Amino acid sequence: MGGSFDPSLIFNSIPKLLPYLHITIEILALSVGIGLLLGILIAMPKLYHIPILKEIVTVYISFIRGTPILIQLFLVFYGLPVIIGQLGIDITRMDPFYFVIITYTLSNAASFAEIFRGAISSVDYGQTEAAYSVGFTPWQNFYRIVFPQAFRVAFPNIANTSISSLKDTSLAFSIGVMDMMGRGETLITATAHAVEIYISLAIIYYVVVLIFERGFKWIEHYLNRYLVKDELSM
Amino acid sequence: MIQLTNIHKSFGKTDVLKGIDLQVNKGDIISILGPSGSGKTTLLRCINFLEKANEGSIEIDDIALDVRHATKKEIVALRKKTAMVFQSYNLFQHKTVLQNITEGLVVVQKKNEKEANEIAKTMLAKIGLEHKADAFPSSLSGGQQQRVGIARALALNPEVILFDEPTSALDPELVGEVLDVIRKIAKEGITMIIVTHEMNFARDISNRVVFMDGGVVVEEGTPRQIFNNPKNDRTKQFLRRLVPEFTYEI
Repeated sequence: MGGSFDPSLIFNSIPKLLPYLHITIEILALSVGIGLLLGILIAMPKLYHIPILKEIVTVYISFIRGTPILIQLFLVFYGLPVIIGQLGIDITRMDPFYFVIITYTLSNAASFAEIFRGAISSVDYGQTEAAYSVGFTPWQNFYRIVFPQAFRVAFPNIANTSISSLKDTSLAFSIGVMDMMGRGETLITATAHAVEIYISLAIIYYVVVLIFERGFKWIEHYLNRYLVKDELSM
Repeated sequence: MIQLTNIHKSFGKTDVLKGIDLQVNKGDIISILGPSGSGKTTLLRCINFLEKANEGSIEIDDIALDVRHATKKEIVALRKKTAMVFQSYNLFQHKTVLQNITEGLVVVQKKNEKEANEIAKTMLAKIGLEHKADAFPSSLSGGQQQRVGIARALALNPEVILFDEPTSALDPELVGEVLDVIRKIAKEGITMIIVTHEMNFARDISNRVVFMDGGVVVEEGTPRQIFNNPKNDRTKQFLRRLVPEFTYEI
């Protein structure tokens, strides 16, 4: 692009990009939040061997894991209105933001389901027997005994997936969501300087990721409070 | 008070229990002895439906169930009348010692937190671990964990406590402290069924001893009858191997 490299542009454009950061955070918070709940549900058929549903979720997880997020985004963006249109409801004019939320939620839920499945089966069955022997119902056992411990096991992987997802939100602009990337593209057009703007974007994403990592470490430390030191190092 | 009738249990093609009858009266302390694989642990686990027996009936207090037709609700109701102490303690790892004891009181018995804490503290005093109330299980020794397991069972004030080899997973030097706690609570008159390999302990503590082998009750009687004057050859053989100083009166 035109003009020579202008380092001052890197710092000048950061304040212009930051007002759009909340879009990124909103996409992340919603897709991780709903994705966690959905992920627990999707993990159930495989954990408890529920016929038919088990096959459905297996195909679903396999598909999500085997296709790029950008293609999933386009499939939802162009495909969902066609499917919903069959029911006589027109969502072609829906804010693209919602398509992004749907795609990232579906994608995160698949990853979380696999993480939860492993974590839930890692909790020692003896504690479930102890809960039953006391008179717990299966549900009471799940939410009071098994899940809190499974969540601790799952948390580092959930954190990793969330951070990947945070970076993936930068694709949202490709269906027209005005997030930081979208704003960056307009700045590039306006200034005719691409590299500087991309450096600014990289700095912002990197700092946000660092903050998240710090936060996740802190939560992890709290979740591990009941383990003795030598168990932690294992 | 507890009546087991004709309990059958098989795992695949292996018959583990072949028609067990057992009657337990209030305040009884019954030890179940027998070689490994005789079905004693399975029998204990059938009582609170951790294993579902294939056939037979179980009666505890005012609940009588035919095992084949027991509903989930009935099973939970039956479990509320029992408590179990496990070989591997099975404490809730994410809960403190105190919370391990209050958990069942709050969730199952719907007691308020204050009342549950009071009960838990009394229990901790009984097992001599008041100072560990806020510790997590992973920081305790095996013997301490098992004592908490006993307190957890005792706090529920059940009709019967089922002990499944409570000292088998412990280092030898820790066995004593656990047996002492069981001896102590035995004096309170609570009904107990104990599966154990500790012969001297069984002889001292029980008022009735049941000897099992090959999925059937071979012989039962007072500790004196079983240890000093066993009738059955299999009982004699078993005791001779396990109790070196074993001699029986003629």
